[in-house]
Amino acid sequence: MRILLRFSILFILTLLVLVVLSFALIYLFPGDVLNNLTGISAQSEAHRDMLVEKHRLDEAYFFQFTHYVSELFSGNWGQSFVSGLPLKEEIGRALPATIELAFYAMFIAVVIGIPVGCYAGLKSYTPVDYSINSLSMVGYSFPVFWLALLFILMFSLELNIAPLSGRISLLFDIPHRTGFILIDILLAKDIDTSLAMRDAFRHLLLPTLAISVISTASMIRMVRRSVIDVLNRPYITAARSRGLSRWQIFSRHILRNALLPVLPLMAIQITTLITNAMIVETLFSWPGIGNWLIQAIYQRDFPALRVGMLAVASLVITLTITIDLFNRLIDPSRDKYERGTI
Amino acid sequence: MPILDIKNLTLEIETAGERVKALDKVSLTINSGEIRALVGESGSGKSLIVSAISGALPQKFHLTADRMSWKGKNLLSMPTEERRQLMRREIAVVFQNPGTALDPSATLGEQLMESIPSELVEGKWFWQRKQSRRKSAISTVHKVGIKHHRHYLNAYPHQIPTDISQKFMLAMALISQPQLLIADDPTRGMETTTKTQVLKLLTRLNQTKSLSILFISHDLLAISSMCHSMTVLYCGQTVESGRMKMLRKRPLHPYTKALLDSAPSFQKDLLPKSLLPTLDGTIPSLKHVPIGCRLGPRCPRAQRDCVITPAVRRIHDHTYSCHFPLHMEKL
Repeated sequence: MRILLRFSILFILTLLVLVVLSFALIYLFPGDVLNNLTGISAQSEAHRDMLVEKHRLDEAYFFQFTHYVSELFSGNWGQSFVSGLPLKEEIGRALPATIELAFYAMFIAVVIGIPVGCYAGLKSYTPVDYSINSLSMVGYSFPVFWLALLFILMFSLELNIAPLSGRISLLFDIPHRTGFILIDILLAKDIDTSLAMRDAFRHLLLPTLAISVISTASMIRMVRRSVIDVLNRPYITAARSRGLSRWQIFSRHILRNALLPVLPLMAIQITTLITNAMIVETLFSWPGIGNWLIQAIYQRDFPALRVGMLAVASLVITLTITIDLFNRLIDPSRDKYERGTI
Repeated sequence: MPILDIKNLTLEIETAGERVKALDKVSLTINSGEIRALVGESGSGKSLIVSAISGALPQKFHLTADRMSWKGKNLLSMPTEERRQLMRREIAVVFQNPGTALDPSATLGEQLMESIPSELVEGKWFWQRKQSRRKSAISTVHKVGIKHHRHYLNAYPHQIPTDISQKFMLAMALISQPQLLIADDPTRGMETTTKTQVLKLLTRLNQTKSLSILFISHDLLAISSMCHSMTVLYCGQTVESGRMKMLRKRPLHPYTKALLDSAPSFQKDLLPKSLLPTLDGTIPSLKHVPIGCRLGPRCPRAQRDCVITPAVRRIHDHTYSCHFPLHMEKL
């Protein structure tokens, strides 16, 4: 219980710092504050006064800030200059697309990375291990944008296996419900679900692959290192001398001890993963938050930038803290009352 | 009839292209129903012998032996699976450092219960088997002198004191009802009363179930009170081996004598505040082992011949390897 309290305090404080930063951004952007905030140059004194009053710019910073926070909480995140739509709605569409992409990439990394990493670790310092290790090193060293471009060149333009861009063919009209395309397809009525699914998967294929190559490679390396570490521990020797079979030793002693230290490393990987997802989105015109933020940068859409940054940062913080909390709860050797960290 | 018979066991460790003999022609036999002590200073290779017997040596160690057999079966050429079954059922090992020899992520109960070989578990269905495992775990834990089984079976290794984890290691070894127990310093760090309990338990098991024990310790007093025979190791060489009584009465090797003299309880005519006799110097590191008899540079009786490794000589069941043994005139 106490640990939950500790983590929630940590979480709230970190979010507060982020909100302060995002609030300060508007003053840090070049140009007139009012201009940055509204995107409108005031036509007359009266107009200007009206805008100033609306955004409470005449009050002290502290009250401006409390106003900002209360606006954030009430769901009024401001409007985009470009589209004129409320930002909450725009982010609500863009963020799930990114989460979806990152989630599938992480899923692939876990499903492939952990078994392969364990195998390499158990066969450590044999030709099999060396080849897995060098392959993962190669995979780890690819710059993600280059890999994505290469995939587009090979699979889309040359072999014509997968489509170039987007989430789903325009022929399908999928109403926006959850923001996750696969779930939305299942929820959508009057469409050919299997056909739409297949199309969505083909669209997903290349971006997911491009991100997951790097995540999988790093996962393999982390798990392998951890398994080798555990193999050298005295308790594995002791378990062997008790005559347990290889499978018993692996499943009861190696796996758990090897994966426990990998979990916090995974939390660190999430930042890289989301960054990579944002880069890949731009290349594949995937309607995610990365693509959206870059558009916002091009258009100097300052309100969009500040709320978008806040949204991405909160997502990363939430995931990191959740993984750390989870790790703390399942790892018996860590003190339950240890302080939380990000 | 020896159940474990090791003759001229040599263990070479490869370091920087060079091979060092960490164990040099060690011989050790354990008879059925015997408690044999293995003594020697730290670094003399006692734990290496334990690892060699239990087959837990790393790949880069090269093991050769003229004979290394368990009940007549050669341990060196035994297939891995058979060796594993042997370790599961007939030989049990208590390692040094119980803190690191226990898996930190599993409860002690889980680790204890998984050490029970399946034929000792009664019942047909998994819940019956689970119950039977739990029952024998609890009774074994009580046997080694842990009272609060409910607390300790659910505890993780880092939550319990060292002497309890030591007892748990012992319980894990005994729960498979082995014929040979290899105990590497099982009483280290225990206070005297607990130690006595554990030693009593081992003696009782030896008498009632004819459990053979290879008892490795620094505690000469405990050894002399419970062991039948003793093997003395110095720097990877067996210097002397024989029945406990004979060794105490007439040690033939200078090192055995020095070892026994250094324990005050064995000396009746020790004057108050007098210095205990010890050998000068320390045990050499493996990188600089002397040639010939490795005790040479520290031995009070060393002569020129000692640069040649002395052959093993035998008087009845008392073996020693020394060119200039003590007490020869009385024999």
